[in-house]
Amino acid sequence: MKATSLLEGAGSALEMETVSKTFPGVRALDRANLSVSRGEVHGLVGENGAGKSTIIKILAGVYRADAGKVNVDGAPLEKIDPASVHRLGVRFIHQEISLVPHFSVAESVFLGQEQTGKFGTAKRLMRQRAEAFLTETLGVELDGRALVRDLSVAERKLVQIARALIDGQAKLVVFDEPTAVLAAAEVQTLFAAIDALRQAGKSMLYVSHYLNEIHQICDRVTVFRNGTDVGVMNLRQSQEPQVGVPEIIRLMVGRDIDDLYPQRQHTKRKQKALEVTDLDDGQRLRGVSLTVGAGEVVGLTGIIGSGRAELVDSLYGLRKIRSGQILVNEEPAKANSPARAVRSGLALVPRDRRNDGLVLDMTVADNVNLATLEEVSTLGWLNRAAASRRGDESMERLDVRPRGSQAVSRLLSGGNQQKVVLGRWLASQARVYVLDDPTVGVDVGARSEIYRLIADLAQAGAGVLMCSNDPAELLGMCDRILVIVRGRIIADIVAAETDLEQLTALATGGAEAT
Amino acid sequence: MTSTPPSSADTPTAVTTRSGWGRRLVDSLSRYGFVIVFFAFVVFFAVRADAFLNPSNLVNILEGNAVLLIAALAMTLVVASGGIDLSIGIAIDFGGWFAIIAMRDYNLTWASALLVGLLAGAAVGTLNAALVVRLKISPFLATLGTFFIGSSVQQIYTSGGGQVPFREMSESFRSLSTGAVLGIPTEIVLAGTVGLLYFVLLERSVHGKRIHAIGLQRSVASVSGIRVSGYLVFVFIFASATVALSGIILTAGLRQFTPLSGFSYLLDSIAAVFIGASMHPQRRPNVAGTLVGVLFLGVVSNGLNLMGLDFNLRDALEGIILVGALALAFTNRNNRAAEVSI
Repeated sequence: MKATSLLEGAGSALEMETVSKTFPGVRALDRANLSVSRGEVHGLVGENGAGKSTIIKILAGVYRADAGKVNVDGAPLEKIDPASVHRLGVRFIHQEISLVPHFSVAESVFLGQEQTGKFGTAKRLMRQRAEAFLTETLGVELDGRALVRDLSVAERKLVQIARALIDGQAKLVVFDEPTAVLAAAEVQTLFAAIDALRQAGKSMLYVSHYLNEIHQICDRVTVFRNGTDVGVMNLRQSQEPQVGVPEIIRLMVGRDIDDLYPQRQHTKRKQKALEVTDLDDGQRLRGVSLTVGAGEVVGLTGIIGSGRAELVDSLYGLRKIRSGQILVNEEPAKANSPARAVRSGLALVPRDRRNDGLVLDMTVADNVNLATLEEVSTLGWLNRAAASRRGDESMERLDVRPRGSQAVSRLLSGGNQQKVVLGRWLASQARVYVLDDPTVGVDVGARSEIYRLIADLAQAGAGVLMCSNDPAELLGMCDRILVIVRGRIIADIVAAETDLEQLTALATGGAEAT
Repeated sequence: MTSTPPSSADTPTAVTTRSGWGRRLVDSLSRYGFVIVFFAFVVFFAVRADAFLNPSNLVNILEGNAVLLIAALAMTLVVASGGIDLSIGIAIDFGGWFAIIAMRDYNLTWASALLVGLLAGAAVGTLNAALVVRLKISPFLATLGTFFIGSSVQQIYTSGGGQVPFREMSESFRSLSTGAVLGIPTEIVLAGTVGLLYFVLLERSVHGKRIHAIGLQRSVASVSGIRVSGYLVFVFIFASATVALSGIILTAGLRQFTPLSGFSYLLDSIAAVFIGASMHPQRRPNVAGTLVGVLFLGVVSNGLNLMGLDFNLRDALEGIILVGALALAFTNRNNRAAEVSI
């Protein structure tokens, strides 16, 4: 289990030993070890709060460890700061994409590492190199002159990766949740790129919540729990017993999660919670119709650019629609602003939790109550005791940790933040829940709790439209699944009658609806 | 669990530990830095300038900064909503100017004149709101535009900035500045009332919570069903009407309107708001903090004045003190571990 046994042979690209780090009130890392051999793809998994991000940030020089040592490429690192780590060939693909919106693709790729020619920066050369790199290594056609703000999130991710790797100096590439924003098809493109990098002898550290991905792409995986490493598993060598996803989960959670998805009894009700007819925005959506019955969980999937995001935005009232009708509870809803959408009975759980889901600098109680403030007030005067009580109740019910409704939301882990967003709507009288990728970046334990919550909502008679990139999640949770391709719903299938392959094939246009 | 590391011969990485209480001390120093500096100055002035702690001088400080407090409170509201109002000078000017016109040219009573002044301020705010909400111009540019337009309007109608005197104003109107309620100068009473109103609005009401949410993360407020546009319209109009009261008090005190005089309150009120924000755990603009900010500016200015410093030097010193105190308040901000776990 210990990393030292693997040091012989190829040698280590990275060795972190007995690293500890304490934040006020939180012991984030407790003598944690992490070792990456040269030329391997090494997974790092753990629940939210297990210390994955902290150890990555220590390696990046963002945080300073309280104790422990770090070797990169066999040499001990005296002082860890971003510049020295970069010099040693360590590159980070952070989960957050930090690109300047008004820069072009080429400018973004070469930001801080501009190519110069005879007359200052060589714009044309940079554009050609950026485009070539994106096409050849990452398999995506992007115009080097396109502005970052006009790209989809997935395309930005690829630009971000290109930016880290274009100088060819990378030895160890650290991916932090790289697929969180990608659609299934793009994940495979990324994996192809990672494979190419592996062939080129690069070492990679791959941090992800998606255990299937870890299992597919990684040679070995280190599992973190409660701030320390609890095991290293070999995923490549055909040794007994074969290590599979359930084994990783068991080590990660410290217990078995028997059924990730709750057993649901779908009782068919006549009432329609949400009915959309012929929705058209004149651009991406071309006559979308769908219904979500009361008590029903309906999945919606589609690759980036399929119109899925636009459909969700239209339901949220964030996007102008040209024609079509939206009925909530069989009454017409005006969808020209989110405020209207909410008043007509929709509950919105956006995809981008950190930007659209939570006011990060407000307390948990404030975030829980944000949509229903009038219920904890009299004549506009906020009853702070009642508000805080409701926050506490909600945290109790959703098992948000750490407890304390007066904690600033920024300090919660991703899974717990998502529970708070859901908590906001549980307090409301919403009849239709539009959940956009509700479990992105959420660990396995919290995920099963969120699934249970969604099942409870449906049980109570709400209609749930669950949009997701993860076909397995849709198959596990939904009664029906809709597939959107090029702005049209091309399939409306009963979840029990389909499988992962068919869904993926439908979404990527590889099959006709049956 | 893990076994012990293989050898201890390797040099350990740089390890610096700042123990828990040390961090907390630095944390609270940074948070309350301004309050500490504030009291340091009070003590310093008390020692160096005998007249400083004199009750009449303290009342002077309060009275002299009542107008600034009202303006800074309005600014607090706008900044809390995520914007800024560079045109408060215009609303101050319009408030006093229209109140004088109402009385002098239309013989309105003092109360009606007060209302006219407030409405004139609200009109300025309405223009801001229209630019920001309808035309989606950023508050900075929109209010800058309003500032330019308003300045020009004043110059046109006052023949290039001539004063508009009104010596015969009624005693009731004049007492808005010079009078007293139960022995407390009216200005202080008015500023206190506005302060209380803003405290309830911004810190204790549902609307304040929503305005803060809009300012902190607008998209979240929006998808939570909050009518963002409606609140922004309210914020700009209410803030401008509030600062118009400042202008009315100013004209009542001087018995005249001096065009473009409101501008001098702009930077001080912004400074007060950000001083106040530096004291909030999440660096949020807040009413109590703004009050401290205004008092700080008032005390420094008054104290330096009493020490008899060269007028030209005073501004520089005020600037240095302000920047120094703000630096102290903000230095540690970036060092704080914002994200404990992900």
